[in-house]
Amino acid sequence: MSARALTFRAAALILLVAFITAPQLFAFVFKPLTVNDAPAIYNHGSLLALTLSHLRTVFLATLASTVLAVGLGIFVTRPSGSEFLPLSRSLVNIGQTFPPVAVLAIAVPLVGFGEKPTFIALFLYGLLPIFENTLAGLSEVPPQALEAAKGMGMNARQRLLQVELPLALPVILAGIRLSVIIGLGTATIGSTVAAKGLGEVIIAGLQSNNVAFVLQGGLVVALLAVLIHDGMGIAERAVAKRLGRPVDEVA
Amino acid sequence: MIEIEHLTKRYGETIVVDDVSLRVEEGTIAVVVGTSGAGKSTLLRMINRLVEPSSGRVLIDGRDTLSIPEDELRHRIGYVIQAYGLFPHRTVSQNIATVPRLLGWDRKKIAARVDELLDLFQLDPGEFAGKFPHELSGGQQQRVGVARALAAKPAVLLMDEPFGALDPVIRSKAQDDLLAIQRRLGATIVLVTHDMNEAFHLGDRIAVMDQARLLQYAAPAELLTHPAEPFVEQLTGTAERPFRLLSLTRVKEALEPGDAEGEALVLSTTLHDALARLIALGKDALPVIDASGKAVGRITVERILAHGRLPA
Repeated sequence: MSARALTFRAAALILLVAFITAPQLFAFVFKPLTVNDAPAIYNHGSLLALTLSHLRTVFLATLASTVLAVGLGIFVTRPSGSEFLPLSRSLVNIGQTFPPVAVLAIAVPLVGFGEKPTFIALFLYGLLPIFENTLAGLSEVPPQALEAAKGMGMNARQRLLQVELPLALPVILAGIRLSVIIGLGTATIGSTVAAKGLGEVIIAGLQSNNVAFVLQGGLVVALLAVLIHDGMGIAERAVAKRLGRPVDEVA
Repeated sequence: MIEIEHLTKRYGETIVVDDVSLRVEEGTIAVVVGTSGAGKSTLLRMINRLVEPSSGRVLIDGRDTLSIPEDELRHRIGYVIQAYGLFPHRTVSQNIATVPRLLGWDRKKIAARVDELLDLFQLDPGEFAGKFPHELSGGQQQRVGVARALAAKPAVLLMDEPFGALDPVIRSKAQDDLLAIQRRLGATIVLVTHDMNEAFHLGDRIAVMDQARLLQYAAPAELLTHPAEPFVEQLTGTAERPFRLLSLTRVKEALEPGDAEGEALVLSTTLHDALARLIALGKDALPVIDASGKAVGRITVERILAHGRLPA
């Protein structure tokens, strides 16, 4: 990443932190967007608290998706689990095809309003990228390296932990990053079922016809997504570099 | 010592290795040659049980390999494959340390062993220890592959086309290096190749395989003078055979008393090279000296040609 790009990201980060901790400082920017003297800055709750709760939901849902998808990906690439590959593919695909809104609609009667239905929707939605990337990463492990590992007397577990997973890690991380980014955006609809999150700001804006609110919610989510995307990208490259791969090989 | 007894591998109806028996003496190199699909690699992979035999057995130093747990067996057998299979995410020294680490050697002992091997394979530890495989040339990767296989001082080394990915110039250097290291360590090696020159260059004994069967297992010279089947003769190169035979024989064996004019040859020169010199210089005879430079006799074209003669 060039120095200019870095400066740009640093500026975005400072702006984001400043805005969610002291939004009133920016009231002058949003004032022209309001009508009838409506408040320029969201005033039903702290932006900081909403952001943290938003991030928490996404983090926990992605963590759960990662555990299941990576575990499943490992299982179906073992000889004993290969029969389940088509089945797990379909299941994971259904999770992705099912619109999160529909998941919310089904989940609310089952688990009630709040964070839980949002968590379920994000969890299901996040499975596919991680699962597919785990499969791709594991299948890209050079067969000669595996043959050599076996020939030197590594058992199945040692091959998985010492050869397959380290080599697949950058690709798996890319899948996790994708799920996080999808989750950050998708989590906003969770506010329709009373999950604490940045969607609340957007929905409040839509209900009271306040463009300033809509914009605030949207901007914070967008900045979060861009910064987290870049941050995880940097982490992936660092991992790939430590694994001895030329940096440009990892997209 | 490796004893292979009536080893057979079937996949359904197909027989890949058909009742092969052979014995590789301690500290020698056995080369398995044959066309692709002859069952060479399967035979090799049955020795370290990467392929389980359908019947027959393999004894290493008298012990049935089936009586040793798979992974433990493989810790004791070095294994080198054509593309080397170096771990791309591990440095040269981590790659070499693979088996010692699996065996739980302590850190100091591993480090010392890695340095020792890097030295043996002419890779400067300071320069190469921390490099990743993709930063090495083909020849360096090959050396790391062999060094890794030798790391835990295995009794036996299995090599499947270990020089197949190298260009001809580096290949012959790598073969010479392997020979030197093998003589030094006294390792027992089984090497699979489809390159006849390589087989004659490296093998103390050569096993010729075709269509799953072992056609002949003999010393190189015997393969040339007494081929067991037309296929063996064909594989060794019908027209090439006298020249191959001369390559296997040294001046020492064709020495005759007397003197000759010209630049002297050393006792250890092959007859093939001696003949080449005689042809090039347009001479019928050249003097011969021993390693210390003392004149010991002469070598003549006539005697050389007699050594290349094949029995009718």
